[in-house]
Amino acid sequence: MQDRSDLTRHLVSLSAELLAADPTDSEALVRIGAAVEEALEATEAWLPQDQEPLTLILAVLQAVYEKRCPNADAAMMAMATAAAVAAGTAGGRPEEIPDAPAVLAQLRGLAAAEPQAPASAPETSAPQNIAGAAAPQAPSASKPDQAAPASDYAQPFTMPADTDLSLLAEFAVECLDHIAAAEGSLLELESNPDLPEPINVVFRAFHTIKGTSGFLGLDRVQRLAHLAENLLDRAREGKIHIRGGYADLALESCDVLRTLIESVREVQPGAQVPVPPKFPELLAVLANPEAAGVGEESEDAPALRVGDILVGQGRAQREQVEDVAARQGDRKIGESLVEDGVAAAKDVAQALRTQDKLTGRSAGEATIRVGTERLDSLINMVGELVIAQSMVAQDPDVQNRARPRLQRNVAHAGKIIRELQDLSMSLRMVPLKATFQKMARLVRDLARKAGKDVRFVTEGEDTEIDRNMVEVLNDPLVHMMRNSVDHGVESAADRTAAGKEATGTVRLRAYHSAGNVVLVLQDDGKGLNRDKILAKARDRGLVESGKELSESEIFALIFHPGFSTADQVTDISGRGVGMDVVKKGIESLRGRVDVESRPGQGTTFTIRLPLTMAITDGMLVRVGEQRYLLPIVSIERSFQPESETLSTVTGRGEMVLVRGELLPMLRMHRLFTVPAAVTDPCHALLIIIEGEGRRCALMVDELLGQQQVVIKSLGKSFEQVAGISGGAILGDGRVGLILDPQGLLELADRSAASMAA
Amino acid sequence: MSEQTNTATVDPATKAGKYLTFALGKEEYGVEILKVREIIGMMEITSVPRTPHFVKGVVNLRGKVIPVVDLRLKFNMEEADRTEETCIIVVAFRGMEMGVVVDRVSEVLDIDGEQIEDAPAFGVDVDTDFILGMGKANGRVTILLDIAKVLTNGELEELATTADTAA
Repeated sequence: MQDRSDLTRHLVSLSAELLAADPTDSEALVRIGAAVEEALEATEAWLPQDQEPLTLILAVLQAVYEKRCPNADAAMMAMATAAAVAAGTAGGRPEEIPDAPAVLAQLRGLAAAEPQAPASAPETSAPQNIAGAAAPQAPSASKPDQAAPASDYAQPFTMPADTDLSLLAEFAVECLDHIAAAEGSLLELESNPDLPEPINVVFRAFHTIKGTSGFLGLDRVQRLAHLAENLLDRAREGKIHIRGGYADLALESCDVLRTLIESVREVQPGAQVPVPPKFPELLAVLANPEAAGVGEESEDAPALRVGDILVGQGRAQREQVEDVAARQGDRKIGESLVEDGVAAAKDVAQALRTQDKLTGRSAGEATIRVGTERLDSLINMVGELVIAQSMVAQDPDVQNRARPRLQRNVAHAGKIIRELQDLSMSLRMVPLKATFQKMARLVRDLARKAGKDVRFVTEGEDTEIDRNMVEVLNDPLVHMMRNSVDHGVESAADRTAAGKEATGTVRLRAYHSAGNVVLVLQDDGKGLNRDKILAKARDRGLVESGKELSESEIFALIFHPGFSTADQVTDISGRGVGMDVVKKGIESLRGRVDVESRPGQGTTFTIRLPLTMAITDGMLVRVGEQRYLLPIVSIERSFQPESETLSTVTGRGEMVLVRGELLPMLRMHRLFTVPAAVTDPCHALLIIIEGEGRRCALMVDELLGQQQVVIKSLGKSFEQVAGISGGAILGDGRVGLILDPQGLLELADRSAASMAA
Repeated sequence: MSEQTNTATVDPATKAGKYLTFALGKEEYGVEILKVREIIGMMEITSVPRTPHFVKGVVNLRGKVIPVVDLRLKFNMEEADRTEETCIIVVAFRGMEMGVVVDRVSEVLDIDGEQIEDAPAFGVDVDTDFILGMGKANGRVTILLDIAKVLTNGELEELATTADTAA
């Protein structure tokens, strides 16, 4: 909450909720209490001193939350009055503020009547009037339209007419991010339901959505988020575990929330927002999952205790810890443990830290959104700044030994600028983690729907890729995942019959290789049926009859547009659905997709994406007066050859013997006709590079050092230059050309061929 | 040559306007000012292998990599030594930016329609498609260039063929 108007707005929405709440509904009271607590927390620092009514209201509300108030009815009335005060203050309409002193007097009486010992919960206490607390000012009639009774949740609702559209857009984006994060964590919980951090992430997601949607007056969103939050809160307290039915419920809440938010985003203020079809049912189930038959396999609920952490880490024996805990009394368990020699002080301290970390609310990363154009120009500018700085640093005046202070200052500035550069370089790149999580969710849902048992394994989710590419990559991946689960992996029965493990495995791997980002999607299903693909292709006239095709050529046919409709290729398990879309998507990123398949063993798709826009580590090499960047990933090693390891093989050009292996030697100065380069290999350096599984030794004059650079396109005119994949700005402001190992190898092939001819 | 006649019949008034004039050897050339982005001093150019000889390479224009063409070489003139006055004119057309190395930038010339004459036809073998016209102002003749045609005429194809035949 930024300022007072935010607070008052929030109070208004709280008031509305309060008024609509059933005083005997303990669940609603708890919910309101939570919101009050939140408001208190957020406003404590700057709550205006002159607003005594407000502070008091909040104090009373908190008392209600803590169920210390003996009389629910009176409390409700006080709250209603309080709400009216808040609403009046918020609206800046003093005439609507009830007589403040009178309200205050009542509230004070109420506060005084509070017993110190916990009373019975408000929902069980019979409604009774406390004399003087029957506040006639309670304008409950003026408010009920703000909160919908539960039965109305199936109806479309109206967007508040005063909604700030830009705020709403931000809200939507933020919420969708939170939902995505929550989904990822929920999936993590599936395999390990006791991990506290994922639970916290999900909880925070719902919590934040609840809070923000409250400000915006989106009560449906708020309600759902709130109920989902309650579910997670129970998990946080260890009362339930997010698995089985609970996990499904939480995931469904994510889905419905997403649908809701997406429709909210598309609607104009004042217009009607449709509600997802199963919304009221979901709310009902969420409000009381157990009544709806949702549950998990019962299990003792281990709370997050220091002792448990210690036992879990193997630092202490469970019996001993429990023994200590039993006679611990008022003292802290950690102290007792150390004193009794059950655990070392160091371990206890560590466990406490772990506990703090696990329960803490600080783990969420705050983000803001910036347009990519501004980001790009920032990156460019920082790059130029680095160059300008190095020019200053190398200026003879600065290098003058007589001026040590200047030198020191310039060096200091340089350090800062380099840090700035590192930072700016990393801005555009995002790990594939979010994409992988989306896929995990997809696989899980698809497998459930198809009734198959599928294990989804991911590897290299920290592999970074340009943000723009992530978005384009999503669709093709979804298609491929669908194919793998739907049609690749067989049913458990078929798998057992084929002598395979009943659970199928779909594996998604990502890694950097030779300047590419490589994504490998592998399933251990039945594989492609090459004969049927070929027959179909011949049928459709895609392949001339009698023409022999290699295996990879046959498999490549599945990417043919029109080859993809299920009714035509049902027999080959429908694989190929949308595969042309996959290919198109990947090619729009200037990438490549290959398919490999073995009958009965599964299919592997390999997607190779170029690093356009990506950052790469390059080795700067010199040839004559030219300098080139070689992607580090493609470099195996470098060495100075001995003359006896060199040989010339007829028709294959120069070769060099490296560790018993004969590799072709490429002279850079010849390939690129660079003058004034070292021509004697024994005085030059050979770098062994690898591209697409092939290797060769590249001859350069010397290595100049490693640099992290942003790949820049050389523009349309130079797109096709063989052996060059792009340019990069070097430390001195000049452009360095980035070599493309694959292209160099092809270039060498061609020159060898022309030499042989 | 019918195309050339077409260009020649274009109303000279449409060619009127401001031109940035520069020198290559003894000749004066002009390029439409609206196509000029900026003028930068000569800087280190990274040569790109396996490209036509008139392509000097690429330079870093504040973080952006742009190709640079030596207009002398493009016009089959002798390459000149760099002087203090040698500079690069950055032109923008069809969404791309390109640098052009010239001997010296002179001035911005405002030329009326009647001061512009069509490019002379030298005969079948001489391609003057890239010349907008001949401007006559201040007692001098300035060759007005259609810079987009100068730089793209056959260049991309040439690049592609260079890459192919180089093998």
